Amino acid sequence: MTPLLEIKNLQVRFKIYEGELKVLNGVDMVIGEEEKVGLVGETGCGKTTTIKSVLHVLPTPPARISDGEILYRGNDILKMKPAQIRSLRKGEMSAIFQDPLAALNPVFTVGHQLHDVIKYSSVNRGRKHLSKKEIRARSIAVLKETGMPDSERILSNYPIQLSGGMRQRVCISEALSAAARLLMADEPTTNLDVTIQAQILRQLNELVAKRKPSILLISHSLGVVRNLTERVYIMYAGNMVEVGRTKDLFADPLHPYTKALLKSVPKLTGEGISRGIRGRIPNYLNPPSGCRFHPRCDHIMPICQKERPAFFTSGDSDSHKVACFLYRR
Amino acid sequence: MKKELLVAALSRRRASFSKGWYKFSRNPLSVLGLIIFFSVIFAAIFAPYITPYPEHAGAFTNFRESSLPPSLTHFFGTDSVGRDIFTRVIFGYRFSLVLAVVVLSLAMPSGIILGLIAGYYRRRWIEIVIMRITDIFLAVPPLVLALAITVMLSPNLFNQMMAISLMWWPWYCRLVYSVTTSLRHEYFVREAELTGASKAHILLREILPNCMAPVLTKMTLDAGFVITVGASLSFIGLGVQPPRPGLGTMVADGAKRLPAEWWMAVFPALAIVIVILSFNLVGDGLRDMFAVEEV
Amino acid sequence: MSEEILTVENLKKYFVTKQGTVRAVDKVSFSVKQGETCGLVGESGSGKTTIAHTIIGIYEPTKGRALFKGQNISKVFSQRPKALKKEIRIVFQDPGSSLNPRRNIKQILELPLKVHRICSNSDRTERVMELLRMVELPPEDYMYKSPQVIGGGEKQMVAIARALASNPSFVVLDEPTSALDVSVQAKIITLLMQLQQNLNLTYLFITHDLSLMRNMASRVVIMYLGKISEVAPTVEFFQNPFHPYTKMLLSSIPAVSDEEENLKPKEVISGGEIPSPVNVPPGCSFHLRCPQKMGICSRVDPTMVEVTKDHLVRCHLFSGGRKLT
Repeated sequence: MTPLLEIKNLQVRFKIYEGELKVLNGVDMVIGEEEKVGLVGETGCGKTTTIKSVLHVLPTPPARISDGEILYRGNDILKMKPAQIRSLRKGEMSAIFQDPLAALNPVFTVGHQLHDVIKYSSVNRGRKHLSKKEIRARSIAVLKETGMPDSERILSNYPIQLSGGMRQRVCISEALSAAARLLMADEPTTNLDVTIQAQILRQLNELVAKRKPSILLISHSLGVVRNLTERVYIMYAGNMVEVGRTKDLFADPLHPYTKALLKSVPKLTGEGISRGIRGRIPNYLNPPSGCRFHPRCDHIMPICQKERPAFFTSGDSDSHKVACFLYRR
Repeated sequence: MKKELLVAALSRRRASFSKGWYKFSRNPLSVLGLIIFFSVIFAAIFAPYITPYPEHAGAFTNFRESSLPPSLTHFFGTDSVGRDIFTRVIFGYRFSLVLAVVVLSLAMPSGIILGLIAGYYRRRWIEIVIMRITDIFLAVPPLVLALAITVMLSPNLFNQMMAISLMWWPWYCRLVYSVTTSLRHEYFVREAELTGASKAHILLREILPNCMAPVLTKMTLDAGFVITVGASLSFIGLGVQPPRPGLGTMVADGAKRLPAEWWMAVFPALAIVIVILSFNLVGDGLRDMFAVEEV
Repeated sequence: MSEEILTVENLKKYFVTKQGTVRAVDKVSFSVKQGETCGLVGESGSGKTTIAHTIIGIYEPTKGRALFKGQNISKVFSQRPKALKKEIRIVFQDPGSSLNPRRNIKQILELPLKVHRICSNSDRTERVMELLRMVELPPEDYMYKSPQVIGGGEKQMVAIARALASNPSFVVLDEPTSALDVSVQAKIITLLMQLQQNLNLTYLFITHDLSLMRNMASRVVIMYLGKISEVAPTVEFFQNPFHPYTKMLLSSIPAVSDEEENLKPKEVISGGEIPSPVNVPPGCSFHLRCPQKMGICSRVDPTMVEVTKDHLVRCHLFSGGRKLT
């Protein structure tokens, strides 16, 4: 069965004054239908660049996609005409970003913005023109689904009048109103209070269970990803370094980076805080040769500096793969 | 150890300069503006040495060669009393540039300091006083104000410079005021206050460096405006007095002889246009240079 | 037995705005002992940042007072003695705006040295290099760099070095790692703990991250809408949380392992929105969201009660035990 989204060997470069930043270094990712996938990586690893490439909203003068394919249902997005991509974005893909205040237009009411999204989404094209009443009813319904209290009154509010959690709920409603097949959420709860975050994640979980889109959840919070996803990718410096079923990966991390990352998270068990990872993220102008993590790795071997590791399967499950020479058979 | 640090610092300085130049030079027009700008300055400074008839810049008459059209001996032709217009235009640049330099040297520091103080001490009487005075000056059309002042005093270059400076400082005051009020509550300013730094330090070392980008850009654009205002005042007789070659004065004289002896008005006017254009282009380039790139 | 270095007594800070009076801090009392890390935990509107800013002198208390080493410090910074400014320092939350982008790191670190005349002109460069080494940033690389070209974690380390430049005894840390990645946070927290030991510092650590406090703080103070809802020593706090809001906070933590998951209380899950501090609900400010609400909760505001040793709660469920004013 063709996966919904398949990224093969994506390479993205950014041109700046000093030279070229080799940001994405061969990213591979697969998302199936109705699958919940997580992407964990720290600041600067390239996760936002990856999403932007899929949505085809990279600013292409400084950025350029130097190699690779992004296959949506088997068709390469990178080779599509602008009109085709636009219709994909309208009907199939939607995104939720980190800062809901920036994502919502401050001079239009919530009702107005939802109205626009519902009216122009591909789902409703071809059908007879939806009346204002129907659109309004649909807006209220979709807001209620996200757990918004008092949905009807919210429609006449401006984004600035709502709390952070409510704004994010509006963004989620907008994303789901387009009946997307692929929902990409880039750090959707990072700016929210912890109790509100818990609510939003719970409601997102319910919504996803009901409507069954595929979801790509990006976060630097491992706990958030563990909660919501079935499979997770770990990303470092423009490469995927580990992928596996969420349960397997968290119980038994393989890549040295994943291990160090999990150790850095402060835990309720009170086992203390690790020293973090020595070194810093690489300079993309002159990235390390071979495996990009090798300058910071405690298990470095001679080959790590020469070649970039491919995904090796490990353990009993086929789905748990690591890009590390420690696991080469 | 110290020497190595110094070397590192200097090379960093050099690197940021060349990066700035790269951003500036991406627009070829800015580079053109810069070339013209330097040419004008060079010409003005070395006027006596590069012009064919330096003595024509003063009281000189030669009625046999008066009102000649542009030729190889007189590039811009001669005026009604026989003086070479090209020479007088180059000398005229001197007055314009002196005007620009003096006005900006007076207006900028005073405007900046007042803006810093007003922006920092918000909701105190000093802010109100400074900003309302600024408002008053800004409410009067600049030309009218300069006119009024020059008329009260005797018309010459010095008074013209004083008059224009007096109406120019409010713009800098307001610009710096707006930057200062937005930075006032930034954490780094707070931090300096909490550490116990003096107010002078906070205003001049913490806030002022952050204002320099818009101020410098404005300064280059202003130079052009100041020259225009100076030329306008000279045009109506309130600036550089004959026989000295002010550009505005020359346009005024030449205007009487249009359209027959067109070269007497057109070339001085073009000279004004070119110098203003070059300042504007340099200002554009500076704005590009200061723009923060985001990757 | 270490003594109390900072005591906050019935502190109130109200802001009058067009929408009404914001009761940012509403009668808060607690104390911090020399050498310990006191964790101040809360979400938005809890008042934790306002308390920090009042202690450091950005605000003056509306009522009540703060005592530092016995001295009354309830004044705005411009009225505080210079010696006090040396002793109490702060590290702000946003690394981006706490360092002036138009100055380089050497100038930034020199400022406290200059103001407090800590060393002579000739020694200053040496001292700056020492400070950078203390936060594990090689001086040769960082001295003349501008904050714009270094990462968030490094900026915070510079901010920490700057706070320590005047040899303080008390450092307020206002969510210093909230904006940073988890591996960078680990580095900084380890550094902070080391520095605390070496320099005998006392920390008031403000955060919303309870898991971090579990591993770092000796005491935890929970705030909600301007009031303290629970205080306890760390181990006791996590083993035995009393207040329903505390339980709600704990159950909202995204756990990374089953072991952690099992430590979370199950009976209270998050619901409702955090009210605005302009519209504080009557009675107990938490009652609108509390699953264990009783009749009295919507009418009467509970008082602080000591339930077990050093473990205080402000909740009607615990009206037994010694009552504290």
